[in-house]
Amino acid sequence: MKFSIIKKIGFVVLILATLTTCERDDICPEDVPTTPRLIIEFYDVSNQETLKNVSNLFIQGIGNELPLTDYSGSTTVNSVELPLKTDENSTSFRFISDYELVDDNDTPNDTSDDIFNGNEDIITINYITENVYVSRACGYKTIYKTVSIQFGAEDISERWIVLAQPLNDNQSIEDETTTHFNFFH
Amino acid sequence: MKPRHILISFISSCLFLFCCVLNAQDSSDEETQIDTLIYKQKYGLRLGADLGKLARTFIDEDFTGFEITGDYRLTKKLYLAGELGTEERTIRTDFLDVTATGSYFKAGVDYNSYQNWLDMQNMIYFGFRAGVSSFSQTLNTYTVYNTNQYWPTQFSLEEPIETKGLTAIWAELIVGIKAELFSNLFLGLNVQIKRLVSEDEPDGFENLYIPGFNRTFDSGRFGIGFGYNLSYLIPIIKKDKKVAVEKEE
Repeated sequence: MKFSIIKKIGFVVLILATLTTCERDDICPEDVPTTPRLIIEFYDVSNQETLKNVSNLFIQGIGNELPLTDYSGSTTVNSVELPLKTDENSTSFRFISDYELVDDNDTPNDTSDDIFNGNEDIITINYITENVYVSRACGYKTIYKTVSIQFGAEDISERWIVLAQPLNDNQSIEDETTTHFNFFH
Repeated sequence: MKPRHILISFISSCLFLFCCVLNAQDSSDEETQIDTLIYKQKYGLRLGADLGKLARTFIDEDFTGFEITGDYRLTKKLYLAGELGTEERTIRTDFLDVTATGSYFKAGVDYNSYQNWLDMQNMIYFGFRAGVSSFSQTLNTYTVYNTNQYWPTQFSLEEPIETKGLTAIWAELIVGIKAELFSNLFLGLNVQIKRLVSEDEPDGFENLYIPGFNRTFDSGRFGIGFGYNLSYLIPIIKKDKKVAVEKEE
């Protein structure tokens, strides 16, 4: 009788020990939302309800030698995802549509001195960062508050992106489930 | 000739039966006359220290800890037991660096389920404890987790954030053994399954380690701990243990 109680307790101990020690909570799972990217959709400026593709879009962060891997001037897209700096309060990008490389100056790994054809706009995204705890494995993520977009060229006639419109007043970027800005061109 | 033969065989078989009965009576007499052996059982306070934590303090640079264990024998099988300890533990991952520091106290009972031979006093026991810990947690640094590595540097915390005055309460089940190595000196091994009852958490963060409770898990409020201790029994009184009486129980 006593022995069977010990057996039962031993069994429970074994089960619990297995459950608690085999758990992999030291690797951050991919489906856990961490630091979000800025999601922008491109709309037609003359018909503002419809998406409009941007052909051969090239996007490069100012201060980084390489273009964003998905937007290196050979793809046509109607939405983009931009990684923002977590250690600064603004990030700038060159947006070049109808990109065509003419000469890379023999430096294929450095695109900043390339000669190209296309329309270039420089945009700056300003924001306030806030760091939020996710979990033991994922640590902290950054979310962005009061996000605004500023163009390098003030004059609309010099730009191919006519208007950058946030989806909400006081736009924030907390996850990647929705679009944050609409660009009209 | 024939009737005589029957008579002899009758007498001899009667004698034989008589002998058997006599024999049987003899053996039952012997059993009731056996001595009841009396062994002295020591009752007292047993004090010890956790060797596992001590060893880990020297081996693991991220751990410093010490635990005093004690139990007091109440009845033949029941012991009042408790632990008092202090721990400092740093948990480092690629993205987090956190140190928990504090002291704890656990109290409860142990039930010895082992039937000892002679005057031995070993234990195979299970028990229950209620534990309370008072600690602080310092977030030494963290680096923001970002799956996108386009920008090479991520935000890192430069000034540590310390949260003081945290408490946690938990309950635990213990299963273990204690063996008497030399007179009054015991070596023990145990496993503890714990469940958090309540805990204070730092603002916008969580407790990764609670002194006494051990590390926490993402999936729930359960925890696990191990003990490896050496203890010395200070005998206070001695009680008789009657072996023959115990056999009948």
